[in-house]
Amino acid sequence: MKYLVKKIVTLIMTLFLVSVLAFLAFQIIPGDVVTSILGTEATPEREEALRKELGLDKPPVVRYVRWAGNVLRGDFGESYRYSKNMNQMMPVAELIGDKLPVTLLLAALSMILIAVIAIPLGVFWARSKNKAFDVLMNMGTQTAMAVPSFFLGVLVTYLFGIVLKWFAPGGYVSYRDNFWGCVRYMIFPAISVAIPKIAMTARFLRNSMLMESGSDYVRTAYSKGASERRVAYFHVLRNAMMPVVTFLGMIVAEIVAGSIVVEQVFSLPGIGKLLISSISTRDFPVVEILILYITFVVIVVYFLVDVLYRIIDPRISNK
Amino acid sequence: MIKIDNLSVAFDGPEVVKNVSFTIGDGEILGVVGESGSGKSVTALTLMGLVAESAHVTSGEIYYDDQLLLKAGQPRNNALYRQYQGLKMSMVFQEPMTSLNPTMKVGAQVEEVLLLHDKQDPKAPTQSKSKAPAGNLAKSAKSESAEAKAKAEAKADAEKKQRPAKEASKNALLAWHERRVQEKEDRKRRVLEALLNVGLKDAQRVYDSYPHQLSGGMRQRVMIAMAVILHPGLIVADEPTTALDVTVQNQIIDLLRKINHEQKNSLLFITHDLNLARRLCDRILVMQDGCIVEEGATEDIFCDPRGDYTKKLISAVPGRTGKKKTSNSSTTPLVEVHDLNVYYRENANSLFGKTVKKCIVKDANFEVYEGEILGLVGESGCGKTTLSKAMLGLNKMIDGRIVHHSNSPQMVFQDPYSSLNPTKTVGWLLQEPLRAQGILDPSKAMTEKDRVAAAYDMLHKVGLKDKYYARRPSQLSGGQRQRISIGQALITRPGLVIADEPVSALDVTIQAQILDLIRSLQEELKTAFLFISHDINVIYQVSDRIMVMKDGKILEIGETEEVFRNPQDAYTKELLR
Repeated sequence: MKYLVKKIVTLIMTLFLVSVLAFLAFQIIPGDVVTSILGTEATPEREEALRKELGLDKPPVVRYVRWAGNVLRGDFGESYRYSKNMNQMMPVAELIGDKLPVTLLLAALSMILIAVIAIPLGVFWARSKNKAFDVLMNMGTQTAMAVPSFFLGVLVTYLFGIVLKWFAPGGYVSYRDNFWGCVRYMIFPAISVAIPKIAMTARFLRNSMLMESGSDYVRTAYSKGASERRVAYFHVLRNAMMPVVTFLGMIVAEIVAGSIVVEQVFSLPGIGKLLISSISTRDFPVVEILILYITFVVIVVYFLVDVLYRIIDPRISNK
Repeated sequence: MIKIDNLSVAFDGPEVVKNVSFTIGDGEILGVVGESGSGKSVTALTLMGLVAESAHVTSGEIYYDDQLLLKAGQPRNNALYRQYQGLKMSMVFQEPMTSLNPTMKVGAQVEEVLLLHDKQDPKAPTQSKSKAPAGNLAKSAKSESAEAKAKAEAKADAEKKQRPAKEASKNALLAWHERRVQEKEDRKRRVLEALLNVGLKDAQRVYDSYPHQLSGGMRQRVMIAMAVILHPGLIVADEPTTALDVTVQNQIIDLLRKINHEQKNSLLFITHDLNLARRLCDRILVMQDGCIVEEGATEDIFCDPRGDYTKKLISAVPGRTGKKKTSNSSTTPLVEVHDLNVYYRENANSLFGKTVKKCIVKDANFEVYEGEILGLVGESGCGKTTLSKAMLGLNKMIDGRIVHHSNSPQMVFQDPYSSLNPTKTVGWLLQEPLRAQGILDPSKAMTEKDRVAAAYDMLHKVGLKDKYYARRPSQLSGGQRQRISIGQALITRPGLVIADEPVSALDVTIQAQILDLIRSLQEELKTAFLFISHDINVIYQVSDRIMVMKDGKILEIGETEEVFRNPQDAYTKELLR
């Protein structure tokens, strides 16, 4: 319980610090949202009016306090750039709420692929005594890790979309219209996200297992008459998973925060894409909330990793 | 029962075990004694079929009850070995801290032995059980479970005839489930029984614990429970007590003897400690450089050693006789310690957690006299090192007073392999304390030439030749490194040197040499030593006075001979056993 309170206090403090930093960053970086909206041709009066309308005439501290107060009340403000209809701007909550499921779905599919493929592959690789297979895996994983993700996206599109015709490139189906259709399409971007991570995870797990195999308790297990297979799955795997869990946590945080490049390549309306466009148009309310969201996700995932760690390794909770 | 014939093993290079032949009789305790690198562990692991795959058996055969287990030139038959490992022969390892799986409960780990060997023989699952003549409790448990099993089967059978097929299969499933539960409970009872038998009184709690929740001695008992639960004919114990404290060591030895006595299994006991071998074994093999150099009944070996190496080994063992009389009679205090409490901060790294001050050394009052060797003996965790750190000024969280009447004390550490900077030469290392002294106190600064001369002088004093001056620590043996550490401590001519377990990482013969060196340097330079060790015999050999410590308290302090002849405290008596 004490542990949970501690974690929540840390979370709140971090969110506060990050929101201040993000706010400050927006004060410092060059470029003005008013110019960005109206263009360079606008009259000074028109600029002044818009500035007032957006509340940008107030000093930064006042603006931050007002914004933070609104966020705490659940009002995330309105986008400067996206309009809902002719006379109303798009609320940030709605904007992000619309795009978040796309990213989360992509993240979930990628994580499933990583877990289902990388873990058995890593174990198999660690147990294999075949030299040729080892060389093959070494080369394969190194290649998979080295290929830039946009190129991987293009390759996947070419192979599955154009050669095999398993999906229509660019034909994104909204999850609102057809959920399973959407999942079907999303598998391919998920593959592009997953391939390098699978390579890394499998490699990592294999090294971790080989290292654990030298432990004394492994020798003890053999001395009881356990088979190699039993020792690998029953004794080594769980201990070897510990560093891998941290690594997987990092990957989850990275993917849930938005796979910017892959979303671009497969034209997915996810938050990665939204983040890029909001930064370039100085759409401050959107960026600030996105940054808070990413921070939140990263911290929560790390918290979950920590909990998982405690489950896997009983030594930790006792320290 | 076990016959090893002309066994040689090599790891991509020279053979580490050479033409070793011996037999182990039924119920016999055979000791294998030798220093590190003598091939005793490799022999045991080869016998158990656990040696690394990079090891090649280059000659010889191993038989267990006339069954050929291993033959040179043939690949190891792992399937055959699995039927022996755990069931007919088992092993207890040296490192109880790491030999249990840290993520599995202890009970499950012991139970695994049962699971593995019940499973391997699905047709006769009770075969291994019937071999166990353990206590009455286990027996009645077994008959109970057998009865219940029979009942359940009978019930299922009877019902099968009466009711429709669907119902019957459901019942069969239920009965099968019941049987599984029964078997599981049965196994648990046997594990608890085994844990009790090895002296773990709180068996239920141990069963549900993870290894890190148990002490080293308890873990070693768990390892032994694991090894004996199926009553194998052979138990191999590879330095089972080396990592344990003396008092725990005694208990484990007693336990091994008790098990050997009750279960009548053979024990192959591997150790570097001749005293232990003498206390436990019927027969002893002495190994050196992979060869058996002497073999015979324990008393014959000790009373009438034939080989030179055996003689050397036996004379190197620190005993409680033949001590050289030291000439020290000074009672001028060099260091006075008054009402000293030393604390440690717990949780110091946590942001929110409260830091707790823990008292490690309680109420220490003693003096170190000029030019004496004061031995400090105690078990791990009793506060020996904490006390020495406080005396060096490395721990500032203290109450009480420490008064030094000489210049700053120096220290010799336990592990000669990691306490010397591997990138520097011996000459540089020896000069370093002089350089540091020069920086701290410019009046003592020396010229480069003087430092080099002093380093050479110290090199000779610690018994090394000039050629070692330019070597690096990796080119030295453990004993040579410890000589350098001692030289480093003495080169600034401190009044007091604190030596924290300086010989415990070394082999017996090397240990004897280093103890001789410390004694002669102390005679020559009149330096006082605070000599810390867990080994009471080592302390006896070097110390003028000894101090016994337990749980942070100093229990006893006095002249060495006096304490040995007439120990006052119960704990000291236990140590002296």
